Parts: sequence; C-alpha cells; structure tokens
Amino acid sequence: MTMILILALVTGAILFGIGVYGALSQTNLVMIMMGVELMLAGAMVNLVAFWRFLHPEAYSGQMFVLVVMTVMALEMAVGFGVAIARFRAKGSVEMEEAEDLKG
Amino acid sequence: MYAQAFFVAVFGLAAIGFGVVVFRTSSMMRSALALLFSMTAVGCLFLAMQTEFLGVLQIMMMATEMSIMAIFMVMFMMDPGGLGGMDMSHQKRFSIGAGVSAAVVAIAVALLSDWGPAAEQVVDAQAQTRALGMELLGRSMMIFETAGITILTAMIAATAVSIPVKKLASKDGKEASE
Repeated sequence: MTMILILALVTGAILFGIGVYGALSQTNLVMIMMGVELMLAGAMVNLVAFWRFLHPEAYSGQMFVLVVMTVMALEMAVGFGVAIARFRAKGSVEMEEAEDLKG
Repeated sequence: MYAQAFFVAVFGLAAIGFGVVVFRTSSMMRSALALLFSMTAVGCLFLAMQTEFLGVLQIMMMATEMSIMAIFMVMFMMDPGGLGGMDMSHQKRFSIGAGVSAAVVAIAVALLSDWGPAAEQVVDAQAQTRALGMELLGRSMMIFETAGITILTAMIAATAVSIPVKKLASKDGKEASE
C-alpha cells in the first residue's frame, strides 16, 4: 500500500513540476492559468493520497480537496474576468505587453 | 492491491502525458482538450484510490471548466488553430529548471520520508459521502461557508471587472469615461 502512496505522490509532484514550467514559460494569460491549474491538480492528488493511505478516518482531508477545487474555479473566474478587461483595453492577453505598472 | 496499483499508475501516466501535451502543442484547442483529458485522468486517479465522490466531482467540474476555457482560448489567442506555428513561450531554460527542481524536490520528499504503515481498507462510497457531509456541516462548517462566500465575491468581482467601460456624455458635451 505504501508503494501506491508513493506512486500517487510522485504523480502529484510531476504534475506540479509541469504546472510550474507552464506558469513560468507561457506568455499568454490563459496558458499561464492552465499551468496554475496543473499545479493545483498535483496538490489535489497528494491530498487524496494522504487521506486514502494515511488518515482515511479524518474527513478534513477530503474537505481540503473541496477547498482546492473551489480555488481552481475561482482562479478561472477571476482570471477570465481580468482577461476580458485586458483584451478590451489593449486587444491582447499577452503578458509580455502588460508592463503598465512598471515604474 | 495490484489492480489498484495498476490503475493508479495508468491514470497517473495519462495525467502526466496529457499535462505535457498542454504545453507542447501549437494548437490552443488541442491544449485545452489535453488539459481536459489530464484533469479527467486525475479524476479517474481519485476513483482508483477509492475516493468516489471527489473523483466524480473532479470529472464533472473539469469537463465544464475546460469547455469554457476552450471557448476563451479561441476568442483570445492570436493563432488558436496553431497553423502559424507561433512560439508563445519565453524564459524557457529558467522555466524548465524551475519545473524540474520543484518536481525533483517533491519526489525526493515522497521517496525519503517515512510515511509509516498505510491503511489497507477504507469504508464504502456511501459511508464516505455521508461522513464527508457530516464533516462539512459540522466541524468544518465555517471553512465551507467561507468558501461559499468567497465564490460569491469572486463571481461579483469577475463580472464587475469584465463589464465594458461606458463613455458618458458630460454636461458640456465632452465625453468622460465612467
């Protein structure tokens, strides 16, 4: 059983790494959001594995997964709101062009 | 146990494989679909780990979320079909280094930690869902309610941000933005 736990944790770690790469390397706001989604998915895999294999009696573990899912939905909603505003103002969601706040 | 290990490995590999495809393809539609498949594989991974409620919830939520994301990709990207072969990435070497470092550190922690004995059995799906409901409406109710209020706030904020700025005519005939 510990082998399956480690398998799941390694999967979560690799998903997190792919997400970090995506969030840092992409120039488009929507693609950056995809990277963040993958990072959160990696965190969720770890949370479920910890609940299932280490503390199946503590349901606060599953509750944390629900909170992470909420964060994913919120990130999408607010991210798309910002993307729409940015597209209306500048005609693009390329983050390399978003230097308005630079001093 | 072996069947569970097999399915965890298969869905884990699928999630990772589709996750890589997200950033490897030029077509934005393919990126969105790859992310949808990756998230579905994560949901199936939850099912393989006997977390039925969260697995089904993940698949349902991500199917909706990624469909919306695909529409936004087509609307906002300069080259949604990827026919121009545009490279939309920057600081590649640093990003690969950061991603690999994050994954290696997390894998090292997973492999080197002493996790103790792992639980062999969990209760069935019906009992799990009931216990989760009791947790949400009992001890963790405050956190659950806070999540609800946060969703409402985010909905209002996202709508407010995306409403177009209207031009209002001032008294002296000049236009002023609201």
